Amino acid sequence: MADVLKFCIPGKPEYVSTVRMLISSLANVAGFDVEAIEDMKVAVSEACTNVVCHGVTDARTYEVSCEINDDRICIIVKDQGEGCDMEQYRHPDLNCPKEGGLGLFIIRTLMDEVDISSELGKGTRIQMVKYYRK
Amino acid sequence: MSLQIGRKFNEADQLWEVILKGEVDISNAAQLKSELQAMLKEKMASVTMDIKDLSYIDSTGLGVIIGTYKRMEERGVSMKMKNPVKNVEKLLKITNLDRIFL
Repeated sequence: MADVLKFCIPGKPEYVSTVRMLISSLANVAGFDVEAIEDMKVAVSEACTNVVCHGVTDARTYEVSCEINDDRICIIVKDQGEGCDMEQYRHPDLNCPKEGGLGLFIIRTLMDEVDISSELGKGTRIQMVKYYRK
Repeated sequence: MSLQIGRKFNEADQLWEVILKGEVDISNAAQLKSELQAMLKEKMASVTMDIKDLSYIDSTGLGVIIGTYKRMEERGVSMKMKNPVKNVEKLLKITNLDRIFL
């Protein structure tokens, strides 16, 4: 039986670090190693940054939920903001770095499984999974 | 969470020596941007950043660094980082930025 924790976060930049600390603490309790914890901190932080930049305004909240299973942790960052058209997303050209566009790439690189769904006007959901190292 | 930015101009080598301490994320990336802009406005020169006490940087922080670097490159000066902690080094490597900055 999985343990599920849910947090409701105001869409303000100053609370992204709070989520980072939460995830770090939770992943530590769940028994992940230091590198995996760092990966999760960075990935979840990027997902929250994405929400704050593109998803919700200051006055609204978004949800971070964590499901701890025997073999993995599943973290979902979900907002009911503007959403976006994922068909427009382009993989960043790492040979020609730009100021923006690295967030989703970083999430996909650091987590074992990533599922991103978004609908214009309805919001975005980023699901990230990390497995325990055997 | 806080970010401390120290800077000193090295006259002998004609470059800025910058020290970043703390964390850079969406809440303070603008602070980093304005500090770097002010510094380069004062004197356009190459930069070395000691990041041994930078425990975290996110994509918005990296975006500031990339944007600043691009403006510097147009003016013929460079930016390098040294002493990254393990997780920051990993982020620089997966984004290929290590090839530019390390």
